Amino acid sequence: MIALSVAALLAVFLLYTSIAGGTTASVQPSQLAGKVGTVQLAGKVVGPVEREGRTLRFTLRDVEGTATVRVVYSGSVSDQFRPSRDVYLRGRLANGVFVGEKDSLVTKCPSKYVPKKGTDSGSA
Amino acid sequence: MPELGRAALVVALGLTVYATLAGGLAARRRRRRLALSAQNALLAAFAATAVAAGVLVAALARHDFSFVYVAQTTSSDLPLAYTLSAFWGGQEGSLLLWLLVLTGLGAAAVAFGRRAGQDVLAWVVPVIGGVATFFALLVVVVESPFATQVAPAEGAGMTASLQNPYMIAHPPLLYLGYVGLAIPWAFAMGALLARRADERWIVATRRWTLAAWAFLGVGQLVGAKWAYEEVGWGGYFAWDPVENAALMPWLAATAFLHSVMIQEKRGMLRVWNVVLVVLAFALSLFGTFLTRSGIVASIHAFAQGPIGVWFVTFIALVLAFSLYLLFTRLPQLRSRTRFESLVSREATFLYNNLLLVAFCLTILWGVLFPILSEAIRGEQRTVGPGYYNFFFKSFGLPLLLLMGIGPLIAWRRASLRALGRTFLWPLGAAIAAGVVLLALGAGSSPLGLIAYTFSAFVLASIVLEFARGTRARRALGAPTWPAAFAQLVAHNRRRYGGYVVHAAVLLLVIGVIGSSLYQTVREEALRPGQAMTAGEYTLAYRSLDERDSQNAQEVRAVLDVSRNGRNLGTIETGKNTYPIEQQTSNEVAIRSDPLTGEDLFVIADQIDPDGTVYFKVFVKPLVNLIWIAGLVFVLGSLVTLWPDPREARRLAARSERLRSAEA
Repeated sequence: MIALSVAALLAVFLLYTSIAGGTTASVQPSQLAGKVGTVQLAGKVVGPVEREGRTLRFTLRDVEGTATVRVVYSGSVSDQFRPSRDVYLRGRLANGVFVGEKDSLVTKCPSKYVPKKGTDSGSA
Repeated sequence: MPELGRAALVVALGLTVYATLAGGLAARRRRRRLALSAQNALLAAFAATAVAAGVLVAALARHDFSFVYVAQTTSSDLPLAYTLSAFWGGQEGSLLLWLLVLTGLGAAAVAFGRRAGQDVLAWVVPVIGGVATFFALLVVVVESPFATQVAPAEGAGMTASLQNPYMIAHPPLLYLGYVGLAIPWAFAMGALLARRADERWIVATRRWTLAAWAFLGVGQLVGAKWAYEEVGWGGYFAWDPVENAALMPWLAATAFLHSVMIQEKRGMLRVWNVVLVVLAFALSLFGTFLTRSGIVASIHAFAQGPIGVWFVTFIALVLAFSLYLLFTRLPQLRSRTRFESLVSREATFLYNNLLLVAFCLTILWGVLFPILSEAIRGEQRTVGPGYYNFFFKSFGLPLLLLMGIGPLIAWRRASLRALGRTFLWPLGAAIAAGVVLLALGAGSSPLGLIAYTFSAFVLASIVLEFARGTRARRALGAPTWPAAFAQLVAHNRRRYGGYVVHAAVLLLVIGVIGSSLYQTVREEALRPGQAMTAGEYTLAYRSLDERDSQNAQEVRAVLDVSRNGRNLGTIETGKNTYPIEQQTSNEVAIRSDPLTGEDLFVIADQIDPDGTVYFKVFVKPLVNLIWIAGLVFVLGSLVTLWPDPREARRLAARSERLRSAEA
């Protein structure tokens, strides 16, 4: 009986993820071509970063690669944001420029004190 | 010095391997003295690990940058407390801490675990030894904390946001929780290996499980408080993979704590309990793995190190071992008692278990979704907060309701008429609260209104339980009402401590609902002299100040705050820039109202050179109840953990009865 109930509950959330479509594709600049609709774009910030009030314009490059895309974004920006940082944001491609959703930009914490490996004290 | 550390770890590895092999042999052949020697090896492994830990602490305290670890995690001007906390600031130190806590807790649990029975205990030693061997291998072979180099002049320093008192406490609390869950798992495995499928392993590990679970809970709240004050985006939890990593084992352990009571009382759910303890331990390993391997994109950067492969292999081994044992011992685990009714105390415990486990698994699914979708469809897809919030609502609300129903409902089978009588008061309280809240305007969020109505129901049922119990004690001859109350709690610490924890969860729910569903958010760019409003607050931006502190340049926007026209003084919000670490951190202003528990939370999101500041202002009602919930949670956990010889005897007698009934 327990097993059946658990299976039923599992089925509920599998249905949710497949039907409600609560998922977003996560891509890098090189995979962006042909993607329609909202995606999560991850990449490395390439300078210079142009600031105009709350609007930022910069270039994102594949974390390990050369493909790039221009990004326009406005909204909150983490203190950690600057060229060479890994970031991700939600948005969609319009006329070759990736337009970010407001306040969706997340900058990964820098691996400051263990340069090549993981860091962080497990800050959950 | 580093040689001493390395040598101590090699010795620890040797001892854990010995504890595993000799312990296994001793348990199999029933050799008492060899078993004792394996048990001592575990204790000695703890001592050796403690020596290694001492070497690392000394190196940190002396700023000995010839230790790669020390140079990477600290700098010479870092205050002492933060310097020492760098012990768990990096990967190698964290793994060393795991080993230290595991061998320490393991040795103690075995020394005090006689209640589990000698044959079970003999198997617990090699099981813990096996886990300890894994971590000893990691710190000896893969990630040594004692790697050395030509000492650089200065260390890399500590990430600014980690220089916070909460960050000193948060990681070790979580580790105590993660590692602590290894103890009940090891005893469960020991019981299966010894083919003793009765309740003794549960009774012997009850306090260890409770303590681990309490540490994990408090550790998460401390982390949330840190995120709220230090990270400063206006929240305290964001369904980030590493946050989920700590939440999942806690949910599994919560389910376990409830379902073991059914096994103790009625001898049911034996298989389920083993499954839960395996799930909790595997998830705590998975949590360590998530925070350490970088397999899932998270705002916390973790590049992929060699450690990922080790962890995946070990988790697979633990699961295979546990499931193999479970299946081969299934016949012994069959329980003779059955559920008698779907309306009974044990049934509500079962519903609670299903909801908790379902919630735990949906989170796991969400965390793994990017990996699974990439493997299956070749495209990485992520689930957003919407996914988690949906299930938080769907499973959380029924769970909340059950917290009110469970304590009032009878064991075995409850009659509907008795139910009506029992629930009269709580139902009345819930309806009254709902009407009052609706009149106060809480209808702006229907979900919040439902949650608060449920909360009133639960609160009333908890109060009712205490009131009824106290009255009964008074009738039994307690001299005064306070004495009756004290007697009530003292005579059944576990039950009433549990209710105190329920009250803490209630406070948490009220705080989370208030601060998320009823919050006000305003964003505005102001020049000095301009003002903005948020809810009942008015904020006038007076000036921008710059100053230097010991290791940072500080920029602060000064704001005059008033509420409904009444002046509340000034607040400062801004940013710190740390030149050595080359980092900037948000320093938010938080003004708490001690009477209502409401916070005014102000971020200087962007500071332009001309003095224009983009402010982000949150008004978060009731948010301080979350932190008070933490204190009540600790209080309730302490009540349940406090030694109680009377209860111990009662438990022993009960499991004896159950055993003889089955024989």
